[in-house]
Amino acid sequence: MKDINEVINGFMQELRRGTIILLVLSQLREPQYGYSLVSVLEGKGVAIDPGTLYPLLRRLEKQELLESKWDTDDTRPRKYYLLNSFGKEVYEQLCAEWKKMISSVEAVIEREEDKGNGTN
Amino acid sequence: MEQIKRYVYAVTRQLPQKQRPEIERELHSLIEDMVEERVLSGKDAESATEEVLLELGNPNALAANYRGKQRFLISPELFYSYMVVMKIVLISIFVSMTAVFAIEFILNPMEIAVQFANYLLSLFMVIIQGFAWVTISFAIIEYAGVKFPKNGPGTKKEWKPSQLSPVPNPSTLIKPSEPITSIIFSILFLVLFTFSTHMFGIFVFQEGQLLNVVPFFNEEVFRRFIPIIWLLIALSILRDCLKIITKKWTKSLIGLHILFVIASFLLALIMFTNPMIWNSNFTNDLVEFSLLSEGSETFDLVATIWERATQGIIYVIALITLIDIIHTSLKAYRMKNAG
Repeated sequence: MKDINEVINGFMQELRRGTIILLVLSQLREPQYGYSLVSVLEGKGVAIDPGTLYPLLRRLEKQELLESKWDTDDTRPRKYYLLNSFGKEVYEQLCAEWKKMISSVEAVIEREEDKGNGTN
Repeated sequence: MEQIKRYVYAVTRQLPQKQRPEIERELHSLIEDMVEERVLSGKDAESATEEVLLELGNPNALAANYRGKQRFLISPELFYSYMVVMKIVLISIFVSMTAVFAIEFILNPMEIAVQFANYLLSLFMVIIQGFAWVTISFAIIEYAGVKFPKNGPGTKKEWKPSQLSPVPNPSTLIKPSEPITSIIFSILFLVLFTFSTHMFGIFVFQEGQLLNVVPFFNEEVFRRFIPIIWLLIALSILRDCLKIITKKWTKSLIGLHILFVIASFLLALIMFTNPMIWNSNFTNDLVEFSLLSEGSETFDLVATIWERATQGIIYVIALITLIDIIHTSLKAYRMKNAG
């Protein structure tokens, strides 16, 4: 028998991977650098793997959803990312898709639960 | 600090040249941010660094995240080197074969139509061969990297910061011009040995016109060695490709180089100690083209030089081989000290 926690962890990782883009985009109406984004999300109760986040920021920038700027005034130079108009558009539509997805997934799960309760 | 530098280097060296400085700067500042936060909450710098690097995980995996990992016959990391080698090989083939054709034409201007047809056909065949061998070499290097990663994303072993190899010492770096020159000469020799053994010799000019070539070698005997020469040249080109890719001396590269040098020497030993390989009519040929007259003092002198040279060349090659081996071994020694 496989360890149940291990299996669940694996699936959770996949679920998180799916939501990470949404989470990141949601926080970038204000400029953030990589580590501040980790802290902000952590503060809101979402743990995020920096090894996934940092490359993701670059990828989103390459896909032209984000604008970036180096700030050299701080104690150390930091690269700040910010949503551009295309990014905002993408984020809003993605949010709508997300809500649709949640409600349909929820509907499915609830229906199955009702059925289960019914037969028991 | 050194650990952070090594980590960043381990990540960025796998990324396209153009993106390196930017990612290097960003990653460095991010890691410092993460370390700083842990230090502020009471950790010592060393264990904080260790912790952060472990959290970021295997640099190969992080680099793959930056790249967006995929599988390739020739991956983007190798593609640049592949194109460099491909260009060198194809240009060298074209230039050396055209030179051979030009000399053939000058020697025998009456048969230009046949020669030109032969030239085009040979050029076509050799260029396809060159293309195929370069591609195969790189596909092998690629496959070896995917199948047997040292500590790539494919391995099951836990990655630790202590595995990081040091940033290379300048004395073990390889300048790109070295393998490039080597490939050019390898191809030149490959073409000459294959198509024009008879052109290794004394060029006979008459009134400024190239009349003939008095060859050094007995072509028929020489030809028997050609498959082995091909094999050695293929080995040398593979070695040069590895040099272009790794850009520094590594243990296996030094091993491969010394293996090649010794194999070349053994071949030279077998070839040049066989008296049949030399053109037995060399001095007579020179007389025939009236470069010498029989019985004269110069004739005796040339005959003696010819005899000494054919017997002595293997010693010269032995000396060069020895110097090469010592030179390369010194590199290994310096590498050990630097590491």
